Amino acid sequence: MIEVKNIYKNFGSNSVLRGVSCEIRDGECVSIIGPSGSGKSTLLRCMNLLEEPTWGEVWMGGKLLTPVDPYLHPDVIRASRTFRALSGSMEEADAIRKIKAEDLLREKRAAEGKDYLAVMKRIYEENHQDIDVSRQKMGMVFQHFNIFPHLSVTENITLAPVLLGKMTKEEASERADELLARVGLSDKKDTKPNMLSGGQKQRLAIVRALAMEPEVMLFDEPTSALDPEMVGEVLEVIRDLVKGGMTSVIVTHEMGFAREVSDRVLFVDGGVIAEEGAPSELFDHPQNPRAAEFLSKVLR
Amino acid sequence: MTDFISKVIELFSTGKYMSSMWQGLLVTLEISVAASVIGLLLGTLAALAMISKKGGWMKIPKAVAKIYITVIRGTPMALQLFIMMFVIFAIRGFPEILTAILAFGINSGAYVAENIRAGILSVDIGQTEAGRALGLNSSTTMIRIVIPQAVKNVIPALGNELIALIKETSIVSMIGMYDLTMAAKVVGSGNNMASYVVPMSVAALFYLAMVYLLTFGIKKLEKRLRSGDRS
Ligand SMILES: Nc1ncnc2c1ncn2[C@@H]1O[C@H](COP(=O)(O)OP(=O)(O)O)[C@@H](O)[C@H]1O
Ligand SMILES: [Mg+2]
Repeated sequence: MIEVKNIYKNFGSNSVLRGVSCEIRDGECVSIIGPSGSGKSTLLRCMNLLEEPTWGEVWMGGKLLTPVDPYLHPDVIRASRTFRALSGSMEEADAIRKIKAEDLLREKRAAEGKDYLAVMKRIYEENHQDIDVSRQKMGMVFQHFNIFPHLSVTENITLAPVLLGKMTKEEASERADELLARVGLSDKKDTKPNMLSGGQKQRLAIVRALAMEPEVMLFDEPTSALDPEMVGEVLEVIRDLVKGGMTSVIVTHEMGFAREVSDRVLFVDGGVIAEEGAPSELFDHPQNPRAAEFLSKVLR
Repeated sequence: MTDFISKVIELFSTGKYMSSMWQGLLVTLEISVAASVIGLLLGTLAALAMISKKGGWMKIPKAVAKIYITVIRGTPMALQLFIMMFVIFAIRGFPEILTAILAFGINSGAYVAENIRAGILSVDIGQTEAGRALGLNSSTTMIRIVIPQAVKNVIPALGNELIALIKETSIVSMIGMYDLTMAAKVVGSGNNMASYVVPMSVAALFYLAMVYLLTFGIKKLEKRLRSGDRS
């Protein structure tokens, strides 16, 4: 479903992601845990390009969302002038390995020659999909809900599907009724969102994303901004979704929940995936010392 | 005091004086209304250019908007008016009221641009992110999500800008245009009134009335926008 290939993300001189690769498979639920500031949100936001990776590629449903990263394609490297200069004196495979390891491709793309540019362009055109189209298939839920305050509860849900021509107004509002009933907000459908509690807002945010009928849902600490008594109602909605087979990626500090619903857990630390595995393995027998330390703190 | 009041009554009841004052008021209103429309259009365009992400062809309008805002806000209005009147539109037969409208419209646009830009930036970035994450493109997100929320934040500042504009138009009297301020001066120097106090006071009253009406209208508008939020 989603493939993240060797992404790096710099904010100015701050390198936040430093070579992250992972794959989210169809129907899978993956939790991302790790210390605050380790790059969890940035990784999640790179999946739908709310952050553009500095290097590396993101793929969704077999489509390329980012520009082509030449280092990920041997064909591209082979078409470069740098490769041609090296391949005279060494094996092809060695030249490719050396170019990757030492980051030898020139910054200025045209300097690597016409063939190089042509191969890059071909790969891009064969695989690229417009980000706005891709995002329609990826729902996102934010820590701070980001409900639209100027629209009614129903309009929050119907806005995108109607504007994007996915449904007529009538279809969308019918769908909104169904979704609101599913999360127990039917009686709120005509109110303005600022009348809702935090837990209700987050439930609304979840169904707003579901109205686009996404293939995957991304959750960025969906319960971190909630009062403790409202955490349960939101987790319940997410749990139902995951049980229903929705492909999901969840950044969370709710370790009990992550352990319960995830098929796989990624431990992110210092901008890399320091450990990954099934929840039972990672929570009970962490191999990475930083993961062990982190878990001993949060599970205490 | 009774003398002052009787003079005021005299001014209001003398057709020749009143028609001079009305004529001046009309010019002030014409310049103010037309310039604020131009200012709003120019200001919106400049604000949108300013907030666009740099890179690509949008670099050019962004740079133009930046220079425009910097130059206009960094130089005196009177000088801008003189330059428009005596340099740029120093064409024989070009109506001076049009020159004044353009000068004030261009001036107002720079301030409006800053207000609108601030209003748009005051909307939480999370709103834009939520719109984009749903698959809406950047202009749809701007039009359907950000701008409706920005409007509320911008209305009071735009009201202040309009008020400032109405009052500032009085400097056209410096180049001899017959606006409300000039009318007061002309009536005052007329042989019968023989005093500036009365017509100047009446002109002040007219300006006050305009500003008051505008303030009242804006308060109403603000209230309506805000109550829409709660219902
Ligand atoms: N838009 C941004 N601009 C600059 N720095 C950022 C931005 N977003 C995140 N960062 C920095 O990236 C690092 C990781 O942030 P984040 O991915 O939010 O961590 P986490 O979600 O794991 O707490 C932090 O040091 C943060 O300051
Ligand atoms: Mg975070």
